[in-house]
Amino acid sequence: MAQQNDFGSAPAQREQFFINLYKKAFPKVAGYVSKMGGSFDEAKDIFQDALVIYYEKLAAGSLALHVNEQAYLLGISKHLWSKKFRENVLQTDLDAAFDTIETEQHQPSSIKLMHYLETAGEKCMEILKAFYYDNLPAQTIATLFGYSGIRSATVQKYKCMEKVRETIKEKSLAYEDFIE
Amino acid sequence: MNEIKLIDDHLFGISDPADALLFDAMVILDNTLPEKIVWQQNTHTVIQQYSRKRLKAELDNVHQKLFSEPRHKRFRQKILNLFLNR
Repeated sequence: MAQQNDFGSAPAQREQFFINLYKKAFPKVAGYVSKMGGSFDEAKDIFQDALVIYYEKLAAGSLALHVNEQAYLLGISKHLWSKKFRENVLQTDLDAAFDTIETEQHQPSSIKLMHYLETAGEKCMEILKAFYYDNLPAQTIATLFGYSGIRSATVQKYKCMEKVRETIKEKSLAYEDFIE
Repeated sequence: MNEIKLIDDHLFGISDPADALLFDAMVILDNTLPEKIVWQQNTHTVIQQYSRKRLKAELDNVHQKLFSEPRHKRFRQKILNLFLNR
């Protein structure tokens, strides 16, 4: 759990971080997708998925900072494009084979659970995101969420983990098919 | 709270040897612990799903700004030109 990200914590800092990445790397990715016959929307989807992968690697500390972001994002995007192309071919075959099967219209229980956590448990989910996903330093999280210091932020992290864990258990058992 | 941390350290494989030993003993003595470990693992999966969803919304917002605000007009034009006449 190394902490070496520099994408900032405040919303405005994060926005600038992503704008900079977009300006550096999106022209190359869009050029590649266009050359391969893809659309603007496909370029956007591919690039945003690549950004998610890049972000997660940075947050986890498994990527050296500023290791030619442009080349890295282009590399991931090319990989995602070829994967998408292969899956599209497969998907077409599957569609043809199963076109008579009706799609069941229901809301999966995991979506219901996520909706519940996004509304009733948003504050805790944001704290847990900051600790576990963004991997921000505890002091930064304390400042961001208005805690007096590292200790109270850390206590809150564990309280939230316990609360969310119990909620997930309770709701999952109620929704029955959450754990698929 | 300590129990939550011990489970986390166990899940992330970062327990120190003394804590790992303590944890093994706790698992034997407390029959509710194995279930808690599973739910905590599930919670980490849900946190990741939640966080990805939030990150994607953040990225989508950045995209909308870049492709609508006047200050990014040159960048926007450069990208859109790539998809002209196709």
